[in-house]
Amino acid sequence: SWPLSPPEIALCPNNHEVHIYRKDGAKWSKVHELKEHNGQVTGIDWAPESNRLVTCGTDRNAYVWTLKGNVWKPTLVILRINRAARCVKWSPRENKFAVGSGSRLISICYFEQENDWWVCKHIKKPIRSTVLSLDWHPNNVLLAAGSCDFKCRIFSAYIKEVEERPSPTPWGSKMPFGELMFESSSSCGWVHSVSFSASGSRVAWVSHDSTLCLADAGKKMAVASLCTETLPLLAVTFITEHSLVAAGHDCCPMLFTYEESQGTLTFGGKLDVPKQSSQRGLTARERFQNLDKKASSDTANASLDTLHKNSISQISVLTGGKDKCSQFCTTGMDGGMSIWDVKSLESALKDLKIK
Amino acid sequence: RRTGEALRAFHTAIRSSPGNTRSQAMKEQAQGTMLKVLTSFKSSEIEQAVNSLDRNGVDLLMKYIYKGFEKPTENSSAILLQWHEKALAVGGLGSIIRVLTARKTV
Repeated sequence: SWPLSPPEIALCPNNHEVHIYRKDGAKWSKVHELKEHNGQVTGIDWAPESNRLVTCGTDRNAYVWTLKGNVWKPTLVILRINRAARCVKWSPRENKFAVGSGSRLISICYFEQENDWWVCKHIKKPIRSTVLSLDWHPNNVLLAAGSCDFKCRIFSAYIKEVEERPSPTPWGSKMPFGELMFESSSSCGWVHSVSFSASGSRVAWVSHDSTLCLADAGKKMAVASLCTETLPLLAVTFITEHSLVAAGHDCCPMLFTYEESQGTLTFGGKLDVPKQSSQRGLTARERFQNLDKKASSDTANASLDTLHKNSISQISVLTGGKDKCSQFCTTGMDGGMSIWDVKSLESALKDLKIK
Repeated sequence: RRTGEALRAFHTAIRSSPGNTRSQAMKEQAQGTMLKVLTSFKSSEIEQAVNSLDRNGVDLLMKYIYKGFEKPTENSSAILLQWHEKALAVGGLGSIIRVLTARKTV
């Protein structure tokens, strides 16, 4: 999870802890270790304005962390779930956060001033399986959720205790808490990631059946879908109102474009084009080793040419927002983090057209 | 036997594939027809047939290919493997993923 500035990042190295690194010039150094969870930390989100972290984990808990002096202090939030929490996101105004879990519901948490603690309300119907991903609409009320029951849905997470009634949006005008504003029907795979566009009038999601879909509220929630030729995508984000970057098990971020007039999604190209390394022939010794190890004397490179050596699990917009993204960041199962500069990509990949 | 006939039979089989049926009998009949059509092709004609399909057609073809693998006859697997190679080149790994994740089987 990235805050705005100074360059600091909070991450979980696949265990019960959260580590915070600070960038000093070109070097990253670990500055904090947050240990409170009793199970693997599955979600982290950093609220840049209020400078608070929220984490959630397999221990079925969430913690809100505030910086006191030079120490991050945790506050337990009871989620009232009986399965692991899987993802967490602060709302745009940072007065609420949502947690998706294996309990087949979403916990919407907000701070109750009178009792000085965090409380939560549940959105249950009609979710039938684990909630894998969440993304908030800019109006701080609508929430998109991707689930293992193959659906992308938009709910209202309106909390009257912390905000005024929202004005109508293209997704609907009545938004009582828990109201289902949209539900997809096209995918046949777990919905790994969902993303609202910057304006909130579009929502995109990627599923395990190797599809990318987009619902356009401006076109009566018409859904455009693309069956990709790739392995399933695990993460997606808008980088302009018409362009998306998605990545997944092919270990490479890819560009997709939404053509509004025709209601179509098209593949715009891979963003990780490996430099052509000189092909060298194998020595006789290497041939025998290959035969021995892999029963093949093939000269084809068995290791990946992409920057990431394993699946990319998360994409985050760093600068420019979701409407004019200039930098985004990918993290993957290889433990690596890469920062991609949109302008450099546009100049390096000649046929790339980001609308 | 002219190439055109095989291609026409192929497109007919793809078009008339029972989309939403729960009838096992209908499905098996369609599978049998498709297998007959696929095995009637000469190796050199396969690529052209695959290229004549749209994205949905390639996905559907891939489903039938795997269905054919499930119930091999004496010579079916060899020709199906050739179909698989050409379909993969057009549909990519994604088309195979969708065979595995499909709720509606052929």
